Amino acid sequence: MRKKTFPLNNWRRLSQILCFSLFLFLFIKTDYTGHDQLAYAVNILFRIDPLLALCTSLAAKAFIQLMWPALLTLIFTLIFGRFFCGWACPIGALLDFSQRFFTPVNKKPNSLFRSLKYYLLGFLIIAAFFGMPVAGYFDPFSILVRGLALAVYPAMNVAAASFFTFTYDQAPQWVNAITEPVYAFLRYTVLPFDQKHYDLALLSLAILLTVIAFEKIQRRFFCRSICPLGGLLAVVSKFSLMRGKSGTKCGKCTNCQDICPMGAIDQERNISPLACNLCLDCVDSCPGNKISFTFSPATVVPQVFNLSRRTFIGSLAAGAVLPLFLQTRSLAKQGNPQLIRPPGALPEDDFLGRCVRCGECMKVCIGNALHPTFLESGIEGMFSPTLKARIGYCEYNCTLCGQVCPTGAITELAVQPKQQTKIGNAIFDKNLCLPYAKGIPCIVCEEHCPTPEKAIQFRMASVINSKRETVNVRQPYIVDELCIGCGICETKCPLPGHAAVRLTSAGESRNPQNALPGTSAPY
Amino acid sequence: MDRREFLKQVSMWSAGLSITVPHFTIISEALAAQRQAPVIAYAKGKDYAALVSQILDSLGGMEKFVKSGNTVVIKPNIGWDRNPDQAANTHPLIVKALVEHALDAGAKEVKVFDRTCNEARRCYVNSGVQDILKTIKSNRVTFFHPDERKYIPVDISKGQAARRLEIYKDALEADSYINVPIAKHHSLSTLTLGMKNSMGVLGGKRGDMHHDLGQKIADLATIVRPTLTVIDATRILLRNGPQGGNLNDVKVLDTIIASTDPVAIDAYATTFFEMKPGDIPSTVAAYKHGLGEMDLAKIKIIKT
Repeated sequence: MRKKTFPLNNWRRLSQILCFSLFLFLFIKTDYTGHDQLAYAVNILFRIDPLLALCTSLAAKAFIQLMWPALLTLIFTLIFGRFFCGWACPIGALLDFSQRFFTPVNKKPNSLFRSLKYYLLGFLIIAAFFGMPVAGYFDPFSILVRGLALAVYPAMNVAAASFFTFTYDQAPQWVNAITEPVYAFLRYTVLPFDQKHYDLALLSLAILLTVIAFEKIQRRFFCRSICPLGGLLAVVSKFSLMRGKSGTKCGKCTNCQDICPMGAIDQERNISPLACNLCLDCVDSCPGNKISFTFSPATVVPQVFNLSRRTFIGSLAAGAVLPLFLQTRSLAKQGNPQLIRPPGALPEDDFLGRCVRCGECMKVCIGNALHPTFLESGIEGMFSPTLKARIGYCEYNCTLCGQVCPTGAITELAVQPKQQTKIGNAIFDKNLCLPYAKGIPCIVCEEHCPTPEKAIQFRMASVINSKRETVNVRQPYIVDELCIGCGICETKCPLPGHAAVRLTSAGESRNPQNALPGTSAPY
Repeated sequence: MDRREFLKQVSMWSAGLSITVPHFTIISEALAAQRQAPVIAYAKGKDYAALVSQILDSLGGMEKFVKSGNTVVIKPNIGWDRNPDQAANTHPLIVKALVEHALDAGAKEVKVFDRTCNEARRCYVNSGVQDILKTIKSNRVTFFHPDERKYIPVDISKGQAARRLEIYKDALEADSYINVPIAKHHSLSTLTLGMKNSMGVLGGKRGDMHHDLGQKIADLATIVRPTLTVIDATRILLRNGPQGGNLNDVKVLDTIIASTDPVAIDAYATTFFEMKPGDIPSTVAAYKHGLGEMDLAKIKIIKT
């Protein structure tokens, strides 16, 4: 028996560490770094994802050019099989790392619900075509980046800030001499610039944790049975050139079967390329060195998907029929006025078709304005971005969200067209607004209004205040033609609770049906 | 309560040794000396660095305001994500010149910062201040974003509208605090001048300042009292302030003025906009507080 000095799976681990590091690097670089243009292709992870490419192209009824790198993944999969899952996928790396903390309940080599991912894949593809784009709910990258961007990364900042505030406030000077430079270094390198707050932070975290917790059921349970991207790669791997060859005359040892994290090896030691993620653990563990991976097609084992025809057709039918019901909701007649899409967003149906719910726009949004929707855009729109103006606003000179969108759901706009894109319109609530309601001077909103000719203007008015004095105050009003819906007025409104000025989607330029009186373009 | 006692309170509070919020009462005698002879240095020209040198010279040199070993805070207006031509922020060349003069005068450390209104990093970059300060190769200069932990609540004993404000520790503790605003239009305060610029050292919800803004600015000025105020009027914003954005709203004056009297300099800068000192509520309120002179006839202008 030949003892290997550097086991093959170490190469795989190295590759996983590199890919995960690259992923984290790009994740941190998904931020403003002093230049209006991002220097890196920070969204590349989503653009090499063939599941998202397929679903968004089907939804858009056109090949989405931005997604062409996904073809490379497919080509490599045709050559090497599901290597991506074992060697590159960051969530795969995370699961391989986490499995040491879990003792799986099911230790049998067979996968539980192995076919589920194919049913899901079929459903997602058909549903995307018929107008219910929900691939992003199950796509591993979307789950991972959302969980990190909306919950883990902001929480990291909370942890660091709490700790270093404690040492700053409570610790003696000599401790601060050590901790403060450390904090400064962390801020400069890995921590976010400022504390962000997100809607659905906990839900996004819970979904990510659930995927990890599935390790308790079986090793790589998510990859084996749920991941629709894995399912797609498995379908392609049926035709892959590289195959694992097992020993046909090996003894009674079942090392390979026991060790295989994907349940890819059956009783006869056949290695299924549909499940095998080329981790090569079996090669390392085989006492007789009888397992190898080669391009020779000599020992082709018939491949099966083990699909129930009835269930599969049922999942396709569901994907085709469910979208009909979406059209029966009131939301289909009247969009939610609180739903403010980022500048450059396509018209709502196209937008939802392309949006893969990756969270990149929310991560990069410099003003913490973009948040995932819950049900504001319907059950099929969950996790798509919306602007929450009370939390944050759209920075006038910033165009980052369009730059990071991997599918073009948010069109990349240059600064000038962005500054003329109307994403909504502000309205005053005169029952709250101080100069109207209480005769108290304010107009913070006017001060912050970023359009060169201000969209918030004011008129002088004589008002009786609550002390029954007659006072002259400036009362603000909106000039619809100038308002671009950035929301800074709502963010900065100094009132506690509700702002006295609120953003609605009225007048958004992507939707001519939503034109305001006096600003409507003929169509 | 004098300045020394106030600083002692500030440092005790921030070190956790005292739970009493620091408070500050101005003593009119302390200000009386200033009130006798407010002087404004005035310089006009295209070379902004030279203008800074000229006004400092006519006020007796930077050494008068920065002693060797001093900690200096230079507080420009970098509040908006606008470029220098748009006249929303202090001109970077003026900031640079002042930093260099402070270094030459022997400052131990020169701190430059502002709490911005737009996204902080964008403001620092687009204002041009970040890039220009990088050209000064000195480890005594720090240009930083304010640290949330360093805002200290301060009781304003003489405050009429603002009774307690959170103020940045570095601004309170500086040996020399040089206020460098740009003169521009502002709908509510009428103009943004020197004392309004001190809102950049405030923590908390600054929006609340806007209810009775002029008085609150004057109340703040009882605490944050610049050693020197330098007003950038190289370009002034006539309309759509305080952030502008339209070059048609900008008027080029190529002028810088400086004074140790924060009220006098605001009063004088008002004339650039063809207004009177009495038109600016914060100037009037600060004058009533006894913080300085607003009668233009009693102010001495040294033109260089």
